[in-house]
Amino acid sequence: MARYISIRLLHATMIVMILAVLVFVIARLIPGDSILAAMAGSVDMSNPAVVEKVRAEYGLNDPIYIQFLQWLSKFVRGDWGVSIGTGEQVRDMFLRRLPVTLELFLFATIWSVAIGVPAGLISALRRQSKLDFVLMTGTILGVSIPSFWEAIVLIYLLAIALPIFPPSGYVPFLENPQQNIVAMILPSFVLGTHSAGLLARYVRSSVIEVIGQDFIRTARAKGLSERSVVLLHALKPALIPVVTVFGLSWGSMLAGAFFIEIIFAIPGLGRMSVDAIFQKDFPVIQATLIAVSLNILLVNLAVDLLYGILDPRVRIG
Amino acid sequence: MATIEIVSRQRIPSGSTITLLASSVRRNRLASVGLVIIVSLSLLALLAPLISPFDPYDQDLYAVLSGPTWQHWLGTDNLGRDLLARLLYGARVSLMTGLLCTLFAAMIGIPIGLIAGYIGGVMDSVLMRITDAFLCFPPLIFILAMSAALGPGLKNVILSFAVFGWTGFARIVRGQVLLVRELPFIEAARATGVPKFRIMWRHVIPNTLAPIIVAVSITVGVAILVESGVSFLGLGVQPPTASWGKELRVGFTYLEVVPLFSLAPGVMISLTVLGFNFFGDGLRDALDPRLKGFDR
Repeated sequence: MARYISIRLLHATMIVMILAVLVFVIARLIPGDSILAAMAGSVDMSNPAVVEKVRAEYGLNDPIYIQFLQWLSKFVRGDWGVSIGTGEQVRDMFLRRLPVTLELFLFATIWSVAIGVPAGLISALRRQSKLDFVLMTGTILGVSIPSFWEAIVLIYLLAIALPIFPPSGYVPFLENPQQNIVAMILPSFVLGTHSAGLLARYVRSSVIEVIGQDFIRTARAKGLSERSVVLLHALKPALIPVVTVFGLSWGSMLAGAFFIEIIFAIPGLGRMSVDAIFQKDFPVIQATLIAVSLNILLVNLAVDLLYGILDPRVRIG
Repeated sequence: MATIEIVSRQRIPSGSTITLLASSVRRNRLASVGLVIIVSLSLLALLAPLISPFDPYDQDLYAVLSGPTWQHWLGTDNLGRDLLARLLYGARVSLMTGLLCTLFAAMIGIPIGLIAGYIGGVMDSVLMRITDAFLCFPPLIFILAMSAALGPGLKNVILSFAVFGWTGFARIVRGQVLLVRELPFIEAARATGVPKFRIMWRHVIPNTLAPIIVAVSITVGVAILVESGVSFLGLGVQPPTASWGKELRVGFTYLEVVPLFSLAPGVMISLTVLGFNFFGDGLRDALDPRLKGFDR
């Protein structure tokens, strides 16, 4: 087990290194000096002395690898730089918006489980039936429809044609819990349905695998009802591989949040990132890219380790 | 964005790849439906200049946001341009971008998978670790950041997609190569002294084609989604060029007045991506029934 954990950790460290280089390189792809270009509005660029001062301030005169190491060491110490757009500390901006996006993800995960697990289970139990075909075709639909279009259709149907939900907007939970939840229903549903398809597929294949095993035959042979065989014996082990889906769907949920938060005007991380992308606010973009990837990496690492504990066969392979 | 994963336990096809594919498509309902959608949309895109009722750039400022009429079947946009014409021309942009993105991603991914699988050893470990690293990054977010850094425009979307979208190809090809390389005819080629690269090109690649075609189909779908997403946010296609994602975004502003303006482009995107996903998924099931409905 110690060997398994250390190999996983080594891989994770290598990935983090590649990630850091990549994120740094992306910010430098912008033609000319990204920082100077972004500051052109606020600083007198015709004055060479001012330009020189800004260059020195941001370390743009140093060799590129020094710039990289400096940026990295500051980032690790929690100094994520100052937003070019707002002049605010990037870390503060990030932490302020994090709860909003996490709330969105929490509701989205609930939708995803509420739809994906029953769909996958039914599909597995009625394997090769018409219902199975319809449900599995439905999961393809889930990955084919752009989330931003699904959002617009739902807004049209449930906020404009039938005004049940607010078309957009966000109310902080502490201000008005009821309005907060009502405003979150549509956006989280859109995000949730998108990962529900993937979840349903995993649950289906996993249940099919489990249901063919000896202990299920034993459970049936000793006279348990089909209902308790499925719910008590088959579903529990079948849900273990489903942990993987959460590792996978975090990334796509975050990408989805970019669109959903724009469309529903939710002041979360997604909207902050899109704004940053348009303003070429690279300290903010770099922080988001790293935070997002680290998050996925950690979730995947946790999933890997959990697997190692739950299933001894994994440790050897 | 869907991850592409073809489990490579697939049996080695006998007969030519094309015969195998044709019979697979015939056998699978989903794949046939997908193919019909893809072919019809491609025809519409190709014939757009001939069948389009209007020029997609002609503005009629007396008929702005008209909604469906006998003259403009789907209505007009905020500048009085015919929506149907813009959707037909948008098909060209979407399909072209989808194909180019996939082409470049395949050009990076296939050689990497081939080298990792065929040469093996340290080379394999290093290349696969790099692939794992890229799989950790949510592609859409990185593509957005990179197209933002490089500036708006389709060329940069395609470039960014290639940089972050090749991992699926690398993994599929590697898996398939690991299967093929131990077969007797490859051994025979090695024994008779055929050079390594010639073996890869002439003997290994042709035997990995079927799963590659499945991956191509699914990747085109993903690329079209990414392009429409990037254009929706305003970084992809620049005006006045028609693109489904762009139309959707502009149409969203007028959702209460003319819902078709944003709903119709979404139908086109969904239908196209659905076509490619049906084709890819169906083909994979038909090539290996054991994987039916397995994780994608």
